[in-house]
Amino acid sequence: MSPILQGILTIAFGVGGCVAYFYGSNWVLDKVIFPPKPDDNGRNINRATIVRPWLFLFPAMFALGLYLVYPVVGSFYRSLFNRAGDEFIAFGNYTQMFSEEGFRIALFNNFLWVLVVPAAATFFGLLVAQLTDKLKWGNIAKSLIFMPMAISFVGASLIWKFVYANDPDIGIINALRDFFGAAPVDPLQIPFWNNFFLMVILIWIQTGFAMVILSAALRGIPEETIEAAIIDGANPFQIFFKIKVPQIMGTIVVVWTTITILVLKVFDIVYAMTGGNFDTEILPSYMMDYMFRDDGRATAVAFVIMIIVLPVMIWNIRQARKEM
Amino acid sequence: MFPTPIEKRSRGAQVTYQALVPLALVMWLLPLVAVAMFSIRPLADFTNGNYWGVPSSFEFFTNYGKVFLESDMPRYMLNSVLITVPTVIGAVALSCMTGFALGIYRFRGNLLIFFMFIAGNFVPFQILMVPVRDLTVGMGLYDTKLGLVLFHIAFQTGFCTLFMRNFIRALPFELIEAARVEGVSEWRIFWFVVLPLMKPAIAALAVLIFTFIWNDYFWAIVLTQGPDAQPVTAGITSFNSQFVAQYHLMSAGSIVAALPPVAMFFLMQRHFIAGLTLGAVK
Repeated sequence: MSPILQGILTIAFGVGGCVAYFYGSNWVLDKVIFPPKPDDNGRNINRATIVRPWLFLFPAMFALGLYLVYPVVGSFYRSLFNRAGDEFIAFGNYTQMFSEEGFRIALFNNFLWVLVVPAAATFFGLLVAQLTDKLKWGNIAKSLIFMPMAISFVGASLIWKFVYANDPDIGIINALRDFFGAAPVDPLQIPFWNNFFLMVILIWIQTGFAMVILSAALRGIPEETIEAAIIDGANPFQIFFKIKVPQIMGTIVVVWTTITILVLKVFDIVYAMTGGNFDTEILPSYMMDYMFRDDGRATAVAFVIMIIVLPVMIWNIRQARKEM
Repeated sequence: MFPTPIEKRSRGAQVTYQALVPLALVMWLLPLVAVAMFSIRPLADFTNGNYWGVPSSFEFFTNYGKVFLESDMPRYMLNSVLITVPTVIGAVALSCMTGFALGIYRFRGNLLIFFMFIAGNFVPFQILMVPVRDLTVGMGLYDTKLGLVLFHIAFQTGFCTLFMRNFIRALPFELIEAARVEGVSEWRIFWFVVLPLMKPAIAALAVLIFTFIWNDYFWAIVLTQGPDAQPVTAGITSFNSQFVAQYHLMSAGSIVAALPPVAMFFLMQRHFIAGLTLGAVK
């Protein structure tokens, strides 16, 4: 009972604390620091207005600074030191890393993931969104396709282990091969292609996401444009590719970039399925190999990931700015 | 509408289409169905090689009973709840405030801070790992639920703020101005005017964050170890090494671990999808 009680207490304190902070700080600002006295009423109200937003922002900015800004800088700093962290070796970790074959394989595989997964997930998502759009029970179909999205990456990997299992009695793929009389293989040990078998898992999860967003976008297309195209005698494929797709291009790009960024972070699938063996390593899982063993190397890999993400991040900020 | 609605096509095309869709769905969900089937078989079926046929007996209660009574699974589940619920509440509460400040007030640095939140949203969490772990160890919070909760709140606040700010921006600003003219104090405006209007956003965000945090694996293995604090995502891997090759229990464990977010998704589907759409499109 005690952990539950503890949890409830924590929640009560947390929420109470938030409300108290919020109410208290505003009260102090209005009544104590800048009280609206008769002589300089207007000036004090103006001053309070300048300070107030920072009252709302302070807790979040403090948390973000402590857990985000400091670690990014700290990570880079740490990556300039050796394994034990006591000797400054400048870019030694980076030069050594780039000369290693394991890192190059991880980089190449990561490149494949970024190329294939967002494209495939967006494509399937668009396809499903279009095909179920006017179906009576389309919503049920959509929920079912979307369901994998709610499962964790580890959970999904464990489930897919049953698909790829070497034993023809357990693995679905080998059960099918067995049915047609072929000898069992371990799909995760086929060089090069095993990467794609792992990607299938992430595509399986992310298609639902792409579908939901794109389906909302498809609903938003003005019917008149499609009616006009039909009257002009456009065929179904022309309508889809020349009328609908261009109108939801913005959304497609958003979905694409969101999944791209996700792909650059995902390590759970590789970690749980192959542990990075059989040349399936990608950068995030490559980094996990050094976690707890060589912090200098781990942070160096992390920084490389950060640099790869950076262009997408900047592009997103510019997009957000344009919309203002 | 794909030019000719399916109802107006020829009978043959309709039947083929209606038959292909369920087939595709079954293929899509085959991995899940297989695991669900495995989880209700008795152990004897596996030793006898009866993997795919009709189970020789239904062992739903025995298998799931074992998961709950003879393993650390209930503790992992409880840990997950105790980590997820405070995080959701904390992140939503914080982001309501920051979203309000960034959405309503015009002040110097507003945009800069907003862009900082966007940037924070995209930072790959790998780069935070080593310093955050050292920080957590330094604060004496390593391998505690509180350490995980604090970090999750901080990290999720970026995304939540983005979400809330965009939602508040879309609210009718006249309401707030009217309240100001009436002389309502700022915190009352927040509490009585803005917060009630934010209910749909809060619901959507809460459901979304719930699944994010419940499904987190990375920070679970970085910041915790052992059944005292580990959530179910990390616990399921140790569970699987405890019951190696007992496929019926491994499957039952996987199902149990995946159930809460999936249940949440089906119960709160509307909010979940609203959250994803709001978060991505804006």
